[in-house]
Amino acid sequence: MIALGVDVGGTFTDLILADLRSGRVTIHKTPSTPLNPAEGVVGGIKEVCELSGIEPGRIEAIFHGTTVGTNAMLVHDGAVTGMITNQGFRDILHIGRHQRPQHYSIMQDLPWQSRPLIQRRFRKTVEGRLDAKGAELVPLDEEAVAEAARDLGEQCVEAILVGFLFSYVNPAHEQRAAEVVRSILPDAFVTTSAEVSPQFREFERFTTAAMSAFIGPKVRRYVRELSEELRKIGVSGELRVMTSSGGLATPEMIAERPATTLLSGLVAGVRGGAWVGSHAGMERLVTLDIGGTSADIGIIRDGRLAEADARSARIADFPVMLPMIDIHTIGAGGGSIAHIDRGKAFRVGPQSAGADPGPAAYKRGGDVPTVTDANLVLGRLVADNFLGGRMSLDASASARVIGDLAQRLGRTPEETAEGALTVLNSNMANAIRSRTVQKGIDPRDFTLCGFGGAGPLHAAEVAAMLGMKNVLIPPHPGITSAVGLLTADLEYHALRTAFAVKGTLDVARLQGLFDDMEAELQAIFDRDRVPPGKVRMLRQADLRYVGQGYELKIDVPDGVVTAAALEQVWQAFHDRHRKEYGHAFEANPIEIVTVKVRGIGRVDKLRQPLAYDGAREPSKVGAGRCVFRVNDVLETFETPHIERTSLPAEKRYSGPAILLQTDTTTVVPPGWTYWTDRHGNVRMSRNREA
Amino acid sequence: MQTRVDPFLAAVIHGALENIAIEMGHKLMRMSYSSIIRESEDFGAALTDAAGRQLCECTMSTPLQSGPIPGYIHGILGELEKRGDSVRPGDVFMHNDPYGGASHGPDVGFAVPIFHVGVLAGFSVTTAHHLDIGALTPGSCGIVDAVDAYAEGLQFKAVRVYEGGRKVEPVWQILRSNIRIADLVVGDMEAQVAAARIGADRYSALLDQYGLDTVTGAYEDLLDYSEHLMREAISRIPDGRYKARTHIDGYLDSPDPALKELPIEVTLTVSGSDIHVDLTGTAPQTTNKPINMPLVGTVDCAVWLTLRSILLDSEIYGSIPQNSGLTRPITIFAPEGCLANPIFPAPVIARFCPGNAVADTVMKAIASAVPQQVSAGIGNLRVMAFSGVSAGAPWVHMEIMEGAYGGRFGKDGMDAVDTLYANTRNNPIEDIESHLPLRVLNYELRENVAGPGASRGGIGSIRSFELLEDGAVSVEGDGQRFRPWGFLGGADGSPAKVELARSAGGVEELPSKIPYRPLAKGDRITAYGPCGGGYGNPYERSPQAVLDDVLDGLLDAQAARADYGVVITEQRVDEAATQELRARHN
Repeated sequence: MIALGVDVGGTFTDLILADLRSGRVTIHKTPSTPLNPAEGVVGGIKEVCELSGIEPGRIEAIFHGTTVGTNAMLVHDGAVTGMITNQGFRDILHIGRHQRPQHYSIMQDLPWQSRPLIQRRFRKTVEGRLDAKGAELVPLDEEAVAEAARDLGEQCVEAILVGFLFSYVNPAHEQRAAEVVRSILPDAFVTTSAEVSPQFREFERFTTAAMSAFIGPKVRRYVRELSEELRKIGVSGELRVMTSSGGLATPEMIAERPATTLLSGLVAGVRGGAWVGSHAGMERLVTLDIGGTSADIGIIRDGRLAEADARSARIADFPVMLPMIDIHTIGAGGGSIAHIDRGKAFRVGPQSAGADPGPAAYKRGGDVPTVTDANLVLGRLVADNFLGGRMSLDASASARVIGDLAQRLGRTPEETAEGALTVLNSNMANAIRSRTVQKGIDPRDFTLCGFGGAGPLHAAEVAAMLGMKNVLIPPHPGITSAVGLLTADLEYHALRTAFAVKGTLDVARLQGLFDDMEAELQAIFDRDRVPPGKVRMLRQADLRYVGQGYELKIDVPDGVVTAAALEQVWQAFHDRHRKEYGHAFEANPIEIVTVKVRGIGRVDKLRQPLAYDGAREPSKVGAGRCVFRVNDVLETFETPHIERTSLPAEKRYSGPAILLQTDTTTVVPPGWTYWTDRHGNVRMSRNREA
Repeated sequence: MQTRVDPFLAAVIHGALENIAIEMGHKLMRMSYSSIIRESEDFGAALTDAAGRQLCECTMSTPLQSGPIPGYIHGILGELEKRGDSVRPGDVFMHNDPYGGASHGPDVGFAVPIFHVGVLAGFSVTTAHHLDIGALTPGSCGIVDAVDAYAEGLQFKAVRVYEGGRKVEPVWQILRSNIRIADLVVGDMEAQVAAARIGADRYSALLDQYGLDTVTGAYEDLLDYSEHLMREAISRIPDGRYKARTHIDGYLDSPDPALKELPIEVTLTVSGSDIHVDLTGTAPQTTNKPINMPLVGTVDCAVWLTLRSILLDSEIYGSIPQNSGLTRPITIFAPEGCLANPIFPAPVIARFCPGNAVADTVMKAIASAVPQQVSAGIGNLRVMAFSGVSAGAPWVHMEIMEGAYGGRFGKDGMDAVDTLYANTRNNPIEDIESHLPLRVLNYELRENVAGPGASRGGIGSIRSFELLEDGAVSVEGDGQRFRPWGFLGGADGSPAKVELARSAGGVEELPSKIPYRPLAKGDRITAYGPCGGGYGNPYERSPQAVLDDVLDGLLDAQAARADYGVVITEQRVDEAATQELRARHN
């Protein structure tokens, strides 16, 4: 079977065309076309097909990572959106949690006020109210709903959110109101808050649903256009889009639930890292994807991608209450600027020179020192062999900007460049700590998987800061996200608010909730024509001690819900609480807040990576002086420059070394042993004393 | 600038310190039970050195909780010295003495000392607002009739709750027997200890890795750094005296004139890179009413926070480490026996609103020196406590009601939000109604009350609660008598108000302070939030912005015409009529 992974990023569209049976792959990178992303995708497909000699018509499945929804949020360019909500509660979206994002600022903006997803004039209120148990206090005024819909229609609103209090317990009012709206405005994108995220906390649920409505028309249009364009070039294979939870979804699902694509592009990278790691026998990984302006960090435990805790997830400063992979993004990348701030402290980033003008070394007019310039000054990048020689760097420009900074600091240029890297690396190490140590995970048991354009440059030193001993660099670090797309399954989520307390819990009701959700997901898989044998349902629940406000996710055994199964769940919660927070309140009652089912529909995917042998001898293309910190002293090493793909499989060498390839440069510091494994990954292992 | 530690290493250590404080706060928030901590985020977390100087604070915590932490440590150390006692490994101290550095009684601090090679190296501290602290009426706010410090609840002065690593059981027993809803409150206290211990462990590990001298040097550099930034900002203000006066309600329903319409006066003297803040002219203390503000723990935090928010606004400067270095250029004086420096045992538990009024007055004083960096007058906040006994179990719910900012240079004021020294979160309606015999009837912006200005003032909220069972309410508010000040030609904002609609019939307007008042099932209480002052001449406001407010239902066409000189017909600006009207006005 021939499958294609296509990941659209801000600058480049990455493609990988794979024969899933033979494992043969063709990779390709082409500039993105932000104004009409489908154009870049289709162009890229034609090119990669040409490169591989495979007709587009033979592609049976296309797996896609997109940033259309994310970008609509980031640049605040979505649909004109309306809302119908309870009388008396017109401004839930505007008041939010009445908290300022910044403690110490008079001039800040509240994002939900300065760039509202739905303007007040388009927020209509109607009579109708449920209580906390879902019982009706005031019946829904359907006539008022109809009038609101007509009114919004006249004002050219393209998308409408129906959001009522307590709809997560009883969606009847929302559903009825949505029906009324659809009957009046058949072309509008209509969504209810409970169908997007049936969880309590009205501001967060309404906001998540408002986002869905805001980006809905755009995402729906994009998916439709892309499908058409693909058909035009003869691709008849099925389109599947990656969602924020790391699974794939059909175009119909995406059109219904556009907000599930908000992290589409980022997640694929973590997936790719997980896949590469699992074939190398590593089930515990920290992925570090470093580009020009930012670094994205993901955690993989026992082969599973760590999920974000429901209330930490944000897009463009708006809260998102949807299942998402936990990806922590910080402003640290190759373009990060080293500078002395107003308080005279030394800092690196978060400002970035980006790709344009970029680092001074790029010779595009950049005249501030960046991380890339520091790497060049230290000899870690090779001026005449950058990106496989496709681009040359200006070492004298880097030396000049770093030299200027050094003079202001009263340090040598080497000290300054190395200091810049140390600060950047430590920012990344802190970010990784916040996702590991702070959650009771010891990163020393993990392997650091570095990819993206700059990940392989920094991975070893970041690992050393965290006490990690092993580093893994995938064969094609620049297209790891596209690889990740070919490794996922269809995945849908169902969720119910349960509010069930240990001791008074109704087992039959709980069973009913799980059965109901599993039936809901099964219906979707049937629609997608996934054979029953390929469907798997995983149950989870969010638990807390009664009175707490934050929950922890616990696996629930499948099959019949029994007292014994629940006992297991309670115990797992105490353990998890202790592990995560360092303390458990064993005597206190526990509450199940939400129950969830993750439905997975297995699809054909990339199996084994291609076997790798390498050459008999590594081909050394040069050597240069390279500066490293050893035992807290800067030392200069004569360091070999080696063609990465020439490294013989499984043969070990000692650092330092600089490994060159077309999409990145890998730095092996002194004190590390490195080799290439049978799958073509570069592996690094820290020697005991280093 | 000379530094003690290599700037690169210093940056690494600063990042590590901040990470520790964030972890403490993250865990406290997630472990705690009462909504005042987990939802409202009314807690603090910070590390200090052995002398109590703050090294870092948790970015999620509210300023009024983290800010006073150095004061807590000074209070604990002072108390121990008085007793001839000292800090030993394995101790955990509990402290809430408002005359010993604490913010006020309900904000209980837990301090875990950190030892490095046998020497006291610092403290890891968490503070949090507790739902009840054993005062005369349920809850820990709206105790507006406490007559002295003893009526405010339990007082802890450097009390050991762990000694040599062992729990001091009698103390915990006293807590359990003297605090209402002890399960929640004591659970929160245990969470505070657990979070502070995590901070202590992490800080110890940092000391082990780099050594005390290096870490000390790095944070001394960090203090210098913050000080340097603040001094640089102060230097840009012309030398001179800047003065302002505002008023708080006090007890509007009191027959005693000494208890109402009380002045707050601030004189700032800027010379070079120093600012001296003098509160002379502020009303005398209210000896038997708890709206006095401790100088340390409330007044100082209000002053520091306001000056740094204006002079080192994080929107413009980016995030700047909050530590004791920032406060070095600022000295504060308030005459003993005034509202801003009461004498023990004058009660202080309800100092929340007056403290924010001090913050607002500081902003008003400095406004003429830095007019583009301030907002016009803010709308103050209000705290409400609902309580009762449901199915045999006592319950307490605290809600902090938002205010609004005044208009700003080129920007309208922020609507319905916590102001200046407070930055808590509201409770989701769906959380309140799921757990308490309360119903929320509305939560919206008020209409036609915004303070007009070229940038209009932020708009206050309206929020109503109905009791579904018999219960009670206590209210601790202000800003019902005086309007938030307009600036540079902007009009004043609108005051707050509170109404009680009895199920038995009749609507009553309430004063801003209501001690424990029993309510019947079906009674409804409605809080109208204040609206901030306008900034700049309203006749210079862009007609499009006026139209937007009209389209959004925040302003009607009549008010657009009267307040802004903008003529709107059929949802459009009548340009000609507007020009004419505005010309006539000038």
